[in-house]
Amino acid sequence: MRPVSKRMDVVEAGDDLRRRTLSHIKRPLDRLIYLASTRDYNTGFYYHDGLASRFSQEVVCEALADCHRQAFRELLLSPLENLVGQMAEYIETSNTSPADFVAAWKKLEPYRVAVPVDTDLLTAEFLFSNFKIALAILEARLNTRRQAAPDASLHQSPAQ
Amino acid sequence: MISPMIQLILTFLVVVGVFVALYFLSRRSQPAGGSESLLEGRAALDALQRELLPPEMLDRIFSKADHEYVSQDASAAVRELFLKERRKIALSWAHELREQILSLRRFHLGSARFYARLSVRTEIKLALQFLSLLFLCQILRGLFFVRGAYGAPRVVGYAVAASARICSISENAMSFLKAGELDSPSENPERTPMLL
Repeated sequence: MRPVSKRMDVVEAGDDLRRRTLSHIKRPLDRLIYLASTRDYNTGFYYHDGLASRFSQEVVCEALADCHRQAFRELLLSPLENLVGQMAEYIETSNTSPADFVAAWKKLEPYRVAVPVDTDLLTAEFLFSNFKIALAILEARLNTRRQAAPDASLHQSPAQ
Repeated sequence: MISPMIQLILTFLVVVGVFVALYFLSRRSQPAGGSESLLEGRAALDALQRELLPPEMLDRIFSKADHEYVSQDASAAVRELFLKERRKIALSWAHELREQILSLRRFHLGSARFYARLSVRTEIKLALQFLSLLFLCQILRGLFFVRGAYGAPRVVGYAVAASARICSISENAMSFLKAGELDSPSENPERTPMLL
């Protein structure tokens, strides 16, 4: 009986988290990053103070891990165009210059530490590969804009 | 002098032959690493059913929509990167598929054929299915390497269908083993030694 009641607690904690917190985070990318940030990289355990006041640490950890896996799956199954859109919106809300953001993500590949711990290699590599392509698309767009901007100013200058 | 020597050598050869025959008979009558091959088989089946064969995952890896999106919107460099990355993933997929099928084959050789008491005909049929699928995986890897991830949609379809058939057979064999494990020794004393 014990495992069943524990599982019910986990479901309840997960539902609570989805209702109160995750429902306010629209994009799967943001949810993945948020949930990865609740994990201690030294131990692999997840922590959430709000949930911990109502559930045991073990239940909180399992519920967060479940939600993390779900967010990962959602992002994994997002079409490439959708992933590019999510990243573009994420950059806009990050208060960082898009060029700096793309350069940092290309160099540091922070998404590599955002995957759930039990993810298989092929699935993780597929998502990393999509991130790499999405970053290349965003970088190409930035370059196109950068090239177009001086041209636009040159075109405007005679009218000034 | 020569005759007793020949007799001795012949006797020695017969004894060695009997020992070799007994060794192979004992191997055939006992599952090779029964619980280990069952665990390996279970893990392989999980990997195939949850990661490598789900339609939504295959749709993503070999997505035509992604290909069209990149072909229409991106620069030549990005298109090249996309095709290179997808080829890498497709090659990993084919490699992983082959590895998991090999694990399932080990499970069948180690446990399933022993417990399930398959007929010779079924065993030959299953062996041929394994062989053809492993060959298909090699063909796929070659095609992905030469033509990229989008170069062999039909062969991917054949490999997925053949893998699904083998998964179904393996699942049946595993459910048979699970049922066997649930039997208590007193209820079915004949089966118990096989499961140990």
